[in-house]
Amino acid sequence: MMTEPEQQLALSYEAATARLEEIIKRLDSGEAGLRETLELCKEGRTLVELCAAELEAVGRGLEELRLDDLVARLETGAGAQGS
Amino acid sequence: MREPHARPLGIDGSNLPGPYSVGRYAAGLRDFLRERPRVQLFGEVWNLRLSRAKVYLELRDADGALPCSMWRNDFDALGFGAGALADGAAVVVGGGLDYYSGSRTSSPSFSFAIAAGALRVAGEGDLLAQLDRLRKTLDAEGLFAPQKQLARPALPRTIGVVTGEGGKARDDVLAGLRRRGWQGRLVWAFAPVQDRHAAPRITAALQDLAATGAVDVIVVARGGGSLADLFCFCDETLCRTVALLGVPVIASVGHHTDRTLIDDVAALSCSTPTHAAESAVPVHCAQARADVIALARRLSVHGRRALLHRAQALARLSRAPGEHIAGERRRLHQRLREIRAAARRRVHDERARGARKALVLDRKAQGAALDGRHATRLNALALALAAHDPERTLERGYALVTDAAGEVVTSAAAARAAGDVRLRFGDAAVDATICDE
Repeated sequence: MMTEPEQQLALSYEAATARLEEIIKRLDSGEAGLRETLELCKEGRTLVELCAAELEAVGRGLEELRLDDLVARLETGAGAQGS
Repeated sequence: MREPHARPLGIDGSNLPGPYSVGRYAAGLRDFLRERPRVQLFGEVWNLRLSRAKVYLELRDADGALPCSMWRNDFDALGFGAGALADGAAVVVGGGLDYYSGSRTSSPSFSFAIAAGALRVAGEGDLLAQLDRLRKTLDAEGLFAPQKQLARPALPRTIGVVTGEGGKARDDVLAGLRRRGWQGRLVWAFAPVQDRHAAPRITAALQDLAATGAVDVIVVARGGGSLADLFCFCDETLCRTVALLGVPVIASVGHHTDRTLIDDVAALSCSTPTHAAESAVPVHCAQARADVIALARRLSVHGRRALLHRAQALARLSRAPGEHIAGERRRLHQRLREIRAAARRRVHDERARGARKALVLDRKAQGAALDGRHATRLNALALALAAHDPERTLERGYALVTDAAGEVVTSAAAARAAGDVRLRFGDAAVDATICDE
């Protein structure tokens, strides 16, 4: 069983944006109470950070490499995420 | 260029004859081939190309192939309609071996060929039929579906691309990614995309990319070509590999008119490598950044507004008791004013009603007095009338005499004359006869 932060890390960009849309829709409806509003805002901010991080990861400049280079990197433990 | 007759020395130690001038040898080879018996060959047409002077094609079957050429005039004289002779058509070709030996200024391209003098279409090719059978087999095994069920990320971090190293498709993929504003990690897995070595190499590249576990989506791209050029993308092993690959594959092979088997088994089939690259990144990154910023701003507004509204609500609640009492006081004062006004209206109305009743009673009293006087006069008239009533006279002992006709007899002479009379008393009447002597 994943904890809540782990679940959010596991969220894909599209799942995060979809959940954000849901949150905004709920907030726009005006039906959420104060406590729910504050919780939704908190969750939304976390999701915004996640989406921003995903966009940042594909906005640093195109990195081209050959398959052999990727395999070599992975074997030397340079990381699958290009960090 | 050196003259052909300037014959150099041969290779040291070689026991091969020569060296001969290449032009003479080529001419000898041409003559040798032209002396071979002319034959009829059957196979399938591939890579059909029509030039102004000649028609070129490859005659293929499962075991081998030969290049063929035919003079354009001879080909046109056969009268094939549009599309009658396309790649994959089975034909019978009649002709003999020929060899264009080239010259000082021209290369012997397409030099060896069957010089066809006759050609007959024999039906649809076996290769196309095999392709159709394989398509149906893969479909029946459900291999068109698995790739389409894979989730394709909207924003992949790493994209693998299988394509030819020197092909235009590579530039097209980059152009498509630029259009999306995507600047992640691009892993090239170059492989030949044409000829018999292509399918195994492409298959291996796909497997290797997927095995890294670091690639979110794979694009297989190749520019246009004849169906023969694209035939490696119909390879059964390649298509089965794609179908069962755990990473979504976007295929862009040939033009939109071409349909290879990889298009059927892939997660998505695109008409151009540019389109494939755009499909690999469905999100436009610059727009997505603007959207995320807008979402963050809306969240912030909602958070502030929620706190502000609640603070205002609390302030309203804190003022509420005093406002409630003041309101109740105003309501009571108003009610009191209404009651007083209602009481005044009621007294005034009752007074008016009493006056009206007194007037009515007065009028009734006057009417009653008039009625008393009338009654007294009526009594007097009734008494007078009773006094004149004959019945009352008869009750006092008088009798009324009438004759037989009922006429009243008022004298003795009349009684005598009548003879028989009727005497009416107060209680009854009796008949009598006058006997007056």
